[in-house]
Amino acid sequence: MNQLNYYECKNVSKRYGNLTALDNVDFHIGKNEVVGLLGDNGAGKSTLIKMMSGVVAPDTGNVFVDGKETKISTRKQSEEIAGIETIYQNSALCDDMTIIRNIFMGREITNFFGFMDHKKMEDLSLEVLESGVHISGIDSPLKEIGALSGGQKQAVAIARAVYFKRKILLLDEPTSALSVRETERVLKYVTELKSENVSSVIVTHNLYHAFQVCDRFVVMSHGKVIFEKNKSETNLEEVTEQVIKV
Amino acid sequence: MKKFIDNIRSKPAGGILLLFCTIQIIAIIAGLLYPENFRYLNPANIAVLLKSMSALGIMAIGVGILMISGEFDLSVGTLYTFCAIVTATMVKEYALSPYLAMIIGIIVGIIAGLIHGNIVNRFTIPSFIVTLGAMLLWKGGTLLYHGAKSLRYKYESETYKTVLTGDIGVIDASFLWFIAVGIIFYFIVHHHKIGNHFFAVGGNPEAAIAIGINPKRVKLIAFSIAGGCAALSGVVAMSRVGSVQPGGGLGLELEAIAACVIGGCALMGGRGSILGIMLGTALIYTIQDLLLLLRAPGFYFEMFVGGLIVLAVIINVTIRKRI
Ligand SMILES: Nc1ncnc2c1ncn2[C@@H]1O[C@H](COP(=O)(O)OP(=O)(O)O)[C@@H](O)[C@H]1O
Ligand SMILES: [Mg+2]
Repeated sequence: MNQLNYYECKNVSKRYGNLTALDNVDFHIGKNEVVGLLGDNGAGKSTLIKMMSGVVAPDTGNVFVDGKETKISTRKQSEEIAGIETIYQNSALCDDMTIIRNIFMGREITNFFGFMDHKKMEDLSLEVLESGVHISGIDSPLKEIGALSGGQKQAVAIARAVYFKRKILLLDEPTSALSVRETERVLKYVTELKSENVSSVIVTHNLYHAFQVCDRFVVMSHGKVIFEKNKSETNLEEVTEQVIKV
Repeated sequence: MKKFIDNIRSKPAGGILLLFCTIQIIAIIAGLLYPENFRYLNPANIAVLLKSMSALGIMAIGVGILMISGEFDLSVGTLYTFCAIVTATMVKEYALSPYLAMIIGIIVGIIAGLIHGNIVNRFTIPSFIVTLGAMLLWKGGTLLYHGAKSLRYKYESETYKTVLTGDIGVIDASFLWFIAVGIIFYFIVHHHKIGNHFFAVGGNPEAAIAIGINPKRVKLIAFSIAGGCAALSGVVAMSRVGSVQPGGGLGLELEAIAACVIGGCALMGGRGSILGIMLGTALIYTIQDLLLLLRAPGFYFEMFVGGLIVLAVIINVTIRKRI
């Protein structure tokens, strides 16, 4: 790993009352790589993803982007400074709003005065839902999120992230509600992103999927990073053992 | 036909629109059949009806926007009186132009809203509590500032009269203010990006944060709109009536919330529409008017509005369930 890391965080800790969700975590994302972030439920994976996204503020720790120390304390900063785009585990959608308004939530396409260009947003929504990671069953982007199935909601969250992605895509259990075919599409997409110079971190419980796409594995347990190896230096058995050991 | 029904269902104001049209059609037919006994279509009746709804309507628009954003303002009723009195004293004691005084009154309302919002944001306490306190604060503030005696407010200027108290046929100036405020906020809530943020913050604050919206800022804007609308409705009502009662206004906040709920705003935020709020207000006053025309005793009004709130919510929920 001589190559300069694009993103790096060091000694990151986060406590919720008595619970230590992140315990002195060091984590980095290189250029053009897919990192598998693994570990049992409650290990702290989502907390780390949210910390990198600027949604959860760490108690301690330093963040470096392109080798320069940087402070990222809001979602906007993670987007603007580090080019991070995230698919959250809970999808982060509003049930009472349409697909279009969810895709462009907080990043509406507007004229100079801030009034939305509904037509353009609708066209782009159709486009992102149909291209990239196409997921079937969504007939109109004017539908409300509340009327969609779990898989369709996840598809909207994926479509949104795909549309706005810049340098790093963080995917927190993105395929938990998807069909086999849809999951394959997402995994294939993640590997394709490398050729567009976009790195990803994918959180998943499915180690076969992880082995299919990741270049490096990081296993967390009780808020700590307990294992880290490149794909070429390890195998499925070893990673499985690390994930299930108490 | 199916498309038409789907269309109504998917709009937050769909249910209320249906109810409103049904009641209007029945009232109009009855008015045509019995023009002597049931004077619904009588110009004088229409004029009174349109005139009466504007103050509550303007206030309800502000309250509704705040509800969409997931917060309440219980202080709008007493703030309405406070700001009207501030405006009147600016004119009567400091000889300010009534327009300037009106702007000052509205700014006071906006500042009050910003104060409420800041307290809610800084201490993360429910707005219900903060504005319950503020409700009493503004009531007491009015008495402290002005005393308990009623205040006459007649401004002898032709333009002012035309702009605030004039009429075009049966349409009163205050009703035009209501419509104007409605149109402005229709564009803000449904077509401006800040409107999208109101819905996002009220519907799922975690999602809003996760996607980069700052809920505190959005809520602050909504609070200031609620305060500003309360002030404007106070000034419009005072100009129309020609006086203010320092003890008045209390109770309007609940009527405004009722208008919003009838109009399809979700109590927990994230749903609602300007058209719905306006129709909700219109429906409350239509019911009141119909009962007056039927010579029903006054207490029927409260009973009917009470029933209407529950009925409207049932209709809204049922229509949505069938999507
Ligand atoms: N907002 C929160 N408040 C309190 N505890 C939390 C919060 N978020 C996460 N936790 C706790 O932190 C730990 C790590 O959670 P999380 O990062 O979601 O785990 P994972 O995604 O690996 O399953 C868990 O024990 C969880 O209960
Ligand atoms: Mg998780």
